[in-house]
Amino acid sequence: MARKLKVKIDEVRSPVALLKNLEISIGKIVEEWEEPEGPTPFPTVTDLRDWDLKLLSRYKPLYIPLCDLCCLCTFGKCDLSQGRTGACGLDIAAQQSRIVLLACCIGAATHTSHARELVEYLIEKYGRDTPIDLGTDVHVEAPVTRLVCGVRPRTLGDLEDVLDYVESQIVEMLSATHTGQEGSNIDFESKVFHVGMLDHVAMEIADIAQIVALGFPKADPETPLAELGIGTIDITKPVILCIGHNIAPGSEIVDFIERSGLSGLVEVCGLCCTAHELTRYTGQAKIVGPISWQVKFVRTGVPDVIVIDEQCIRTDIVKEAKKVGAVVIATSRKNCQGFPDKTREPADKIVEELINGKIPGALILDPEKVGEVAVKAALKIAPRRAKFKAIPSMEEVVSQAKRCRKCRECERACPNNLPISKALAEAAQGKLDRLAELYDLCIACKRCESSCPAGIPILDLMEKAAERKMKEERFRIRVGRGPIQDTEIREVGRPIVLGEIPGVIAFVGCANYANGGKELVEMCEEFLRRRYIVVASGCAAMTIAMYKDEEGKTLYEKYPGYFDAGGLVNVGSCVANAHISGAAIKIASIFAKRKLRANYKEIADYILNRVGAVGIAWGAMSQKAASIAAGFWRLGVPVIVGPHGSKYRRMLLGRRDREEDWYVYDARTGKKVYVGPVPEHLFYAAETKEEAMVMAAKLCMRANDTTKGRAIKLTHYVDLHRRFFGTLPDDLHLFVRTVADVPITMKDEILKFLKEKGWKEMEIPDPTLLEELVRKP
Amino acid sequence: MTRDRPWQRAEIPGPIKAFIIEKPESLAALMKRAKRLVIVVGNKLAYTEELGTEPEEFLVSMAKALKAHLVATGKNFRSLREKGYEHIYLMPAPEIVDRLRDPSWRGLDGGGQYDMAVFVGFPYYYEWVLLNGLKHSAYKHLKTISLDPYYHPNATFALPNLLPKDWCNYLKAVVKALSGE
Repeated sequence: MARKLKVKIDEVRSPVALLKNLEISIGKIVEEWEEPEGPTPFPTVTDLRDWDLKLLSRYKPLYIPLCDLCCLCTFGKCDLSQGRTGACGLDIAAQQSRIVLLACCIGAATHTSHARELVEYLIEKYGRDTPIDLGTDVHVEAPVTRLVCGVRPRTLGDLEDVLDYVESQIVEMLSATHTGQEGSNIDFESKVFHVGMLDHVAMEIADIAQIVALGFPKADPETPLAELGIGTIDITKPVILCIGHNIAPGSEIVDFIERSGLSGLVEVCGLCCTAHELTRYTGQAKIVGPISWQVKFVRTGVPDVIVIDEQCIRTDIVKEAKKVGAVVIATSRKNCQGFPDKTREPADKIVEELINGKIPGALILDPEKVGEVAVKAALKIAPRRAKFKAIPSMEEVVSQAKRCRKCRECERACPNNLPISKALAEAAQGKLDRLAELYDLCIACKRCESSCPAGIPILDLMEKAAERKMKEERFRIRVGRGPIQDTEIREVGRPIVLGEIPGVIAFVGCANYANGGKELVEMCEEFLRRRYIVVASGCAAMTIAMYKDEEGKTLYEKYPGYFDAGGLVNVGSCVANAHISGAAIKIASIFAKRKLRANYKEIADYILNRVGAVGIAWGAMSQKAASIAAGFWRLGVPVIVGPHGSKYRRMLLGRRDREEDWYVYDARTGKKVYVGPVPEHLFYAAETKEEAMVMAAKLCMRANDTTKGRAIKLTHYVDLHRRFFGTLPDDLHLFVRTVADVPITMKDEILKFLKEKGWKEMEIPDPTLLEELVRKP
Repeated sequence: MTRDRPWQRAEIPGPIKAFIIEKPESLAALMKRAKRLVIVVGNKLAYTEELGTEPEEFLVSMAKALKAHLVATGKNFRSLREKGYEHIYLMPAPEIVDRLRDPSWRGLDGGGQYDMAVFVGFPYYYEWVLLNGLKHSAYKHLKTISLDPYYHPNATFALPNLLPKDWCNYLKAVVKALSGE
């Protein structure tokens, strides 16, 4: 496993023995593994820098700064506008990439810290020797870790060593953002890729640890359907709401309920990724919704006890809870909320103090005790809150709406510029339809409320207007399954690599959608109907469940959970994103039999040129989303974000009009061959869902596509382009290599177009960007 | 409503901010001075009761008067093309911005890089960062104008924050000034 110093001896004779192939590392014995170690075990950033530079020479950063200044040190503020440099010498390009690196370090550190906390808890509870067993269908159990680190973790204890490496690398990358360190924007970008790669290792560690220790589904395509939505919560029972990402406290709540014979008497529900984990742990838990449902749900007054762990929790959740008289328990060192530390006090005493309001909330760093306190507090406080009404009356709504001064400050504050003042004007007349419409589009950030000079509780008014709609939020989501089976990879590897399955589309990331979650669902169904493989994780996976068709079915009820054409695969929470990159890696390893162990560049080159996968983070907003995306970029998987994603400050764009950027080596001959702009971009912020769909279809094209596969991919690209834009794509000729690539149903039209463009046939090579993979130089 | 502050409250600009063009006639004169002008149209433009007219009509009229190239960034390509102007192109916003920053780009017709780009019809925050990208990377060869009814500080020139009705009147006056009426 991980080692500080390694000694390898092929053969040594001594008076007492003959030793062959002895490998010793200080601290750990290197275990037996049939696969030889590749060139980059536990890589530093410079070990993979040449690969990064190849990507960045093709996909150049387009910087679109969110801020023109640098305020990070006391030399400044420094104005970096229009060629100016800061007091340290940094220019605007380097500063933007530096901030991207900083964001990715925050994101990766968050997942890594989550993984560390989880692994420590699980080791303490289940033992260091708990085997990493993901079931009989998953033999390549940690593809990202194997690829990056060159080790094969066998037990929970082994995972700690991998985290040691990830943590040390993140610290090194973070240090590069200090004043007077890195000065090149391209090297900052390389470090961004490195941190993204590390993030996927950390996510993989976190998810496989909880799967093996807590008995989550192991790559099961037919996981059960769980209930989702505010309307599914049984308000006749005491309600415990868990928010965040770490399952430890939530699992202890469920265990305490069972141990105490209270099954069916207490409602346990979750928000954000903890909700995914709860449904993976027990069939009894429910999901309220994604991150943007936090305030919406708390303000209904339904939750009696709110247990917060880590990440993506509204930092004003305590104030919101106080308004509705709910009790809050903080459970993470990273999020103490100013509460007194009650970890060492008896559970019954904490319960009394909480329900009598003697303490504003409790910090309890022992998950088992959290379980006991949360349940006992819920049972005691629920009867007292039974008649509590949080949603305002109709009269209150009208009276509040009449106080609107029409200053439009709410709209200026709204991230989506929603027409709030018009809706308030109608509400003042007793008409609530427009306010109810806003409920679907609103991400409940409350910026409107905090900027309203009249102090109107706008979100409360919206909730009243949409009260019936909220109660009708009853959906079903397929429980997160974790990894993709090796057998599934064997089945689909060939059709993906040859292009016959047109692509793998992964919907990932948080809320903060520009036009509500419906756009995400529309995109998802479009690709499912076209028989792409669709994968989902995190809040995106929840949003996908939140719309029904005319027959009352969600997409999870309409499409199977297999990793196959037309399948909709919910891998789980945001740490389960590692199974998506893992699937791409396993295609190279299991299907194509490329060496996996510590062989990063070759596998990434394979994915870039052969695996038509694209990520869509339609509501991306967080630092974690940035580092997740960066991990995909280094593997050669393009990511499309929604318009809010433009605030990541830069895109990585190819230029199809620069022919010189699109040459690869033919691995058979060593000849450099033009392959067209495939995939054209690596990171792209789309303005509309239509643009995103057309772009996703285009970015699934790869240099290795067979003629049959390319024809299928072109069919989708041309069809979507024509449907949304009313014309053939103007760049179509760049993607047609031979006449056999042309979709048969569009042949006459496309051949005519090609003639007008002066198109000529191209070669189809065995593509690679790595000269060392050329077999005959 | 403040006329000269970024429409979205927290989108505070850097030290270099757009000049506000209060008079439509001044804007028309400014656009006339461009040697190669491109108008980039996003998908947020929509008919409203207050507006009374399809905003795309104004843009096509302006493009015709100025012999400018018109870029639709998405599904609006279909409706713009129906207006019957020959120099209408389809290119997503990130791609046109990426090309506009490149001094060596030959333009949509091969006739050379543009010296003025007009943006209109995008989500405010999206246009804000796109314009800022050009402010930093294309300032030596390109001036930008935001034609939206919101003050856009990262353009070279922008309109003040306007109510829909006032914006409509502004656009009408620009078209009138361009056509020499």
